[in-house]
Amino acid sequence: MPAFSSGDSDMTDQRKGSDAEPTTHFGFKNVPESQKAEKVAEVFHSVAAKYDLMNDVLSGGMHRLWKRFTIELSGVRTGNRVLDIAGGTGDLARKFSHLVGPTGQVVLADINASMLKVGRDRLLDLGVAGNVEFVQADAEKLPFPDNHFDCVTIAFGLRNVTHKEDALRSMLRVLKPGGRLLVLEFSKPTNTLMSKVYDAYSFAFMPLAGKLITNDSESYRYLAESIRMHPNQETLKSMMVEAGFDRVTYHNMTAGIVALHRGIKP
Amino acid sequence: MILSGLLAGVEHGLNRVLRLDSTALGRLGHLTGKVIEVDCASPALKLFILPSDEGLLLAANWAAEADCILRAPASSLLNLALSRDKTAVLHSPEVDLEGDSAVLLDLAGVLQDLELDWEYELSRWLGPIATPLLSGHLRSRAGWYKQGFVSLKQNLAEYLSEESRALVGTHEAEARFAELDRVKLDLERLEARVERLSRSLKSSDNA
Repeated sequence: MPAFSSGDSDMTDQRKGSDAEPTTHFGFKNVPESQKAEKVAEVFHSVAAKYDLMNDVLSGGMHRLWKRFTIELSGVRTGNRVLDIAGGTGDLARKFSHLVGPTGQVVLADINASMLKVGRDRLLDLGVAGNVEFVQADAEKLPFPDNHFDCVTIAFGLRNVTHKEDALRSMLRVLKPGGRLLVLEFSKPTNTLMSKVYDAYSFAFMPLAGKLITNDSESYRYLAESIRMHPNQETLKSMMVEAGFDRVTYHNMTAGIVALHRGIKP
Repeated sequence: MILSGLLAGVEHGLNRVLRLDSTALGRLGHLTGKVIEVDCASPALKLFILPSDEGLLLAANWAAEADCILRAPASSLLNLALSRDKTAVLHSPEVDLEGDSAVLLDLAGVLQDLELDWEYELSRWLGPIATPLLSGHLRSRAGWYKQGFVSLKQNLAEYLSEESRALVGTHEAEARFAELDRVKLDLERLEARVERLSRSLKSSDNA
């Protein structure tokens, strides 16, 4: 699986701890909100160096096809402005850079400095420069003007965002009317048998692979847990509609393990 | 997903081939931003081609509007890919072209004029010493086979026409065809003369 882009600190939970401090999910655990950013940052600092390798190992290369489909549905053209939130190591930004050409602009945003640095170095090494900007930004409070982008994408990042509704509203704000939001994220398998196999894979193989390759099984245990805590296809669709998106649709990929949601700003 | 995976593989291979021609990517550069939709009627298959100075991007779906849409059965598409006279194929009744045809013809032109520097690719694997040795050997073998084939063709033609007399020789056949042409023309002239005479006889009878 694509490990995880550092969308933001962590999952939201409205429940309160015993000391009345708001708590959020960190995988299956509940921890005070004030500790989340630090914990997630630790995860990303740990995985950043071998992020691409782990994506290929854990997904068997499938993440490339999921991202490819996202590009196809983006409808990005020459001269467009594209924002890739939780852009990680820049897989989508690289493709968008070629599609928008020298007259367009791609902004790769990530809240995590380590991931942003890996992404920036990787794109520069590949000769992708000139129309790409790198911005360390929080998905919930995007530092861009209203009606600015033709397309906004967030791939494997939304489930890490603390307040997803705020992030979706923020994305809506920066999109131009008619602009598209594409959310590529792990979801719920549509097949019961596949779901069982996927669970076994997630909780047994993924932490083991993390241990063997990055010497960090906890980060990959968090990945498996955070996927289970993420809203399913229909719930995320409703959240996008509530945030103000129009014509919201989703496409299941690999039997629903991953779903691509698309919404248009009215 | 399967089609996307297949297209990704084809795209990767195609772009590697394009990189073997030092001018191909530069020539594709001016087509950046253009979208060509190829809609195959039988079997039903839709393909989007996006050329750029990075190569070709192949997609099974594309959300934006295409600049050029080509609708044709697979046989016509194959014919279009292989034919040197692409305009003739594009004008055939089973081919439907919509939008800016120049985009498609430019792309076809680039692909048709490819001159692949396969020696460069070989040198990346074998090194600078082995490559010229191997390529020189291959070139000499290719030349030898080509010459051998031409020689075989000539000898075979000579044997069949001159020695076994199984076939008529080229010069003999040309002379016979020329004779036939002459006879045909003479017959046509005779027919015209008879026609004229019969008309004049009819007119004198009426008078």
